[in-house]
Amino acid sequence: MSWRTHAYHALLWLIVLVFFAPVGWIILCSFKTQAQILAVPPLLVFRPTLENYVHVLSEPSIVLGLVNSLVLSISSVVIAVGVSFLAAFSFSRFKPRGTDFLMFLLLSIRMLPGSAAILPVYLMYVAFGWKDSYPAMILFYAMFSIPFSVWILKGFIDGVSTRFDETGLVSGAGWLGIMTRLIFPQVLPGIVAALIFNFIFVWNEFLFDYVIGGPATANIPTVLATGLYKGGSTDWTFVSTLTTIYIIPPVVIVYVFQRYLLVGMTFGTVRGEV
Amino acid sequence: MSDASTLPRAGGAGVTRRLGEALASRRLLPTLLLMPVLVFFLIWNTIPTLWLLGLSFYRYSLTSGRPPIFAGTYNFISLLEDSEVWFGLSRTFLFVICAVGIETLLGLLLGLLFWNSQRLPGRRLALTLLFSPMVLTPVAAGTFWKLIYDPTFGILNNVLHGLGLGRIDFLGNAHIAFAAVLAVDVWMWTPFMVLMTLAALASVPKAELEAAAIDRLGFFQRLRLVILHHGKFILMLGILLRTIDCFKTMDLIYDMTFGGPGNTTELIALTLYRRAFQVFNMGWSSSLAVVLLLISIAFTATFIFVLHSRDRNAPAGGDAP
Amino acid sequence: MKDGTNPQTGRSTAATASLDRRGLLRGLAGAVACGALARPYVARAQTGPMAGRQIHLAILGIAGWTPSRLGVDLAPDFVKYAKDKHGYEVSFSYSEAPFAQLFQKAATSLATHGQDYNIIISDSQWLGALAQPKWILPLDPVIRKRPKLDVEWYSPVVRAAYQTYPDGSTHRWGFPQEGDTMALYIREDLLRAPGEAEAFQKRYNRKLPVTWEDFEALSYPDFLHLIDFFNRPEKGHNGFGSQFSREYDFISDPVMSLMKSEGGDIWNAQTGQVQGIYDTPGNAHALQQYKDLLRYEPPGAVNFGIAELIDAFTQGKIFSALQWAALGPAMITESLKGKVIVVPPPGFADASGKLVRNYIIGGQPWVLNAFNSRDKQTAALDFLEWWYTPETSLAFARHGGNPCDKVTLSRDDFDAIQPWYRTYKYMLGHSSDFWHDPAYADLLSVQQEAFTAFATNQVSNPETALRYTACRQQKILFDAGTAQKAPTAACNGIRL
Repeated sequence: MSWRTHAYHALLWLIVLVFFAPVGWIILCSFKTQAQILAVPPLLVFRPTLENYVHVLSEPSIVLGLVNSLVLSISSVVIAVGVSFLAAFSFSRFKPRGTDFLMFLLLSIRMLPGSAAILPVYLMYVAFGWKDSYPAMILFYAMFSIPFSVWILKGFIDGVSTRFDETGLVSGAGWLGIMTRLIFPQVLPGIVAALIFNFIFVWNEFLFDYVIGGPATANIPTVLATGLYKGGSTDWTFVSTLTTIYIIPPVVIVYVFQRYLLVGMTFGTVRGEV
Repeated sequence: MSDASTLPRAGGAGVTRRLGEALASRRLLPTLLLMPVLVFFLIWNTIPTLWLLGLSFYRYSLTSGRPPIFAGTYNFISLLEDSEVWFGLSRTFLFVICAVGIETLLGLLLGLLFWNSQRLPGRRLALTLLFSPMVLTPVAAGTFWKLIYDPTFGILNNVLHGLGLGRIDFLGNAHIAFAAVLAVDVWMWTPFMVLMTLAALASVPKAELEAAAIDRLGFFQRLRLVILHHGKFILMLGILLRTIDCFKTMDLIYDMTFGGPGNTTELIALTLYRRAFQVFNMGWSSSLAVVLLLISIAFTATFIFVLHSRDRNAPAGGDAP
Repeated sequence: MKDGTNPQTGRSTAATASLDRRGLLRGLAGAVACGALARPYVARAQTGPMAGRQIHLAILGIAGWTPSRLGVDLAPDFVKYAKDKHGYEVSFSYSEAPFAQLFQKAATSLATHGQDYNIIISDSQWLGALAQPKWILPLDPVIRKRPKLDVEWYSPVVRAAYQTYPDGSTHRWGFPQEGDTMALYIREDLLRAPGEAEAFQKRYNRKLPVTWEDFEALSYPDFLHLIDFFNRPEKGHNGFGSQFSREYDFISDPVMSLMKSEGGDIWNAQTGQVQGIYDTPGNAHALQQYKDLLRYEPPGAVNFGIAELIDAFTQGKIFSALQWAALGPAMITESLKGKVIVVPPPGFADASGKLVRNYIIGGQPWVLNAFNSRDKQTAALDFLEWWYTPETSLAFARHGGNPCDKVTLSRDDFDAIQPWYRTYKYMLGHSSDFWHDPAYADLLSVQQEAFTAFATNQVSNPETALRYTACRQQKILFDAGTAQKAPTAACNGIRL
């Protein structure tokens, strides 16, 4: 390879490291003590300690928070994508009246700031006594994830030729069969992209869980926000350690399913390699 | 043969078969498939929005101990007269335009850079690390950037000090704070635009690129005629998504500056949050929420209109060869 | 039950049925036997109406704030006490949220009439916001029935700040959980370093204050000399640190302290009038004075909240700090033990030359959820009665908390228990609170905005900041029905 290619690769890696640097800093801090984090000038070389991790992982409220995050994220996203798949199929194949209107409305709702979207839901939940309840939270997060999923999946399903449907119908498959056996595998990148993107959004969602959730349904961003201070000052070891632990699943997912993600974000215009 | 044949034969098989056929009929099926989404939409969207709309006509504060008092357009007039709201909106618009603008340009640039990097060693890891700012919890991002910006303990200032440039109080300086918060948003979401750019570039048919290469078209000509021509749709979609999310920015400011210093980083989402969930003035907050909803709808409508009118050549499925 | 064979177990149903009947009889016999044997034990604890019950109390407190936690940490003693004296079993759990979010957490739960939190530790300013919608229990009828709860406090400000709403009335809604006042933390090791006193005398022709009494007599101009003298950025530390942050009430407390100490006021509690009282030249002067302190503070001080101020002090970046007394345990870390002296903050000479101090009081009352079940309410009140016994107060003090009752604070050995106690007791006599009004969150937010705008030069003169605040606060109070007069015409379109 020529030196130009080497330089090009070096430049790319430099850019990557510039973006990654603050995240890397947080990870580095999770192995420091409070005093080391606040040291001036900042320490790059130091004796690392695993004490923070031991400390954080032995707190039952944190373990509960992690479990809650997982449960809330996974179940709501699976429900959302499942439901969105059906709807996207309907929009794409049958184009019922009001398709464009509904698609548009779904998207514009997403633009509302969190507090605006949550305000009426909060009042509603208060009136029905749904505070701090798992099903109520999961269903809200599902609604949260539906607009994006519908848009992606419709794009992908649009990209699958209707000839597949015809073939399926002729061989007597019935719509359910067409959906699951013919269309679904072909739009898998879209499904995966929708799952991943929404998973990450719900994973990092703070406001709703904070306002409507209670002790039993606290997710990690909420735990982070409430656990920020210890003895009056910011508990940097806590924040950095918990953040590092929390960023591992999304990063792993992005790494493993990267190809699907890249293809998925094409909204159905490409179904091969990216 | 229809689905009904796979159903267990119990009493009333005839009814079941007819039901199955009805389900499979083109008339009922589309609506049935839409049902779940519609139910979700109704309960978690329509009803709350109507509630919101209704509440905006009342004066109601959770902590006042009094029931809601009908006030007609009082809240809306109050909003219109409130300079804080106007300045908050204009500040938010400025923020969104700058952030999305920079992120798009930067994302486009970096996306083009990364485009043909298939042979980059550790490409997968590189892209994952590049996308890491996006997946970091905003609460953590805000808290840590506050530390990074800190004049005494923060890295940035220590580097500046080491270079002999003195210390800058990024988040405490009324003239710089806005830009500092903007910078964090750009850091967080440029990777998203890189992702969208890569996707947009992928949607360009290879045949056309090869044709452009054979025709020896210059880089900018290639960009304009081939790449942007085909990748427009996805890029625009990316811009739309990013604009939508940027308008909602609150988590970041909440942890970094809380709207300060003064009100230089007070974005409208934070104002709404404060009035709704700290002051608990539900009536006023509802009216602001209604106004924001109208703005969202207007913006999305305009954008989609623009998207569709330019979308004549977008590969939107159908009979692909 | 039908006769036949149970297809699953293969046993005859008749047999199964009789087996069930036999089992039932056996169980019943066993229960009766247990009851009979236990009778004497049960009878012994049969002293109260709640005997034998199991009650769980949830306390909501301030995140990462040790005095809050102490309620739960010391609770095991109460558990034993409750069992022995009243015969019921009580357990505690503790939830927390940071200051800036605590009210919100409590309110969102109380709005649903929920029993998530039975005892809530709230900041003193929230009394109005919690009392007005009747979310917390009014305490006067309770105190009449339980005279032990009519504790004698060390200073009248305790009742005014932690119990009373509306201001100026006699209605009580809370009990003080943690008393708190402002204090000046000084690095005594730096203060008493050899040569300092002489150099100070030479430079300012005044004696360097070193003892607690010296600081009690310290006026503001002399205080400025002190922090100027010890402002040594080239040596790695600045002279002073205080709070300037936009968040919560961080900048408001010190500024209002200066305003009040210099004779100003922030509103008329009876009429709700702000304009004319708040935007005075005297208050503007106080605001300017506070901003000028930045000269002696570290570069990032304009962002200091409680947490950052603690960091700066414990990391040795500042010589002195204006900080809450309750933070004593956090401010005086292991490495700083014996090197810190806690003294009253400076006084302001009035027209006659006498030193005046009127700083903002801190501290938290705890309040009772009005929707607690009867059992929980009784248990909670028993808990509070136990809490204010001299033994418990003393234990609280030994763990670093700040009690408020006269009995404990009057003890001869009280001052020696914690390094900040002498100042805490002194400042209780020189502190006052600000609005208890339900709209306080709104009032505070506007003020925070204006003060930080001035402190960071978004606004160049203090009068503008005060006028802006007065206008908006007047509107807020007028809309809420508290103020009688609407904002003046000069307020239209006012901006920072």
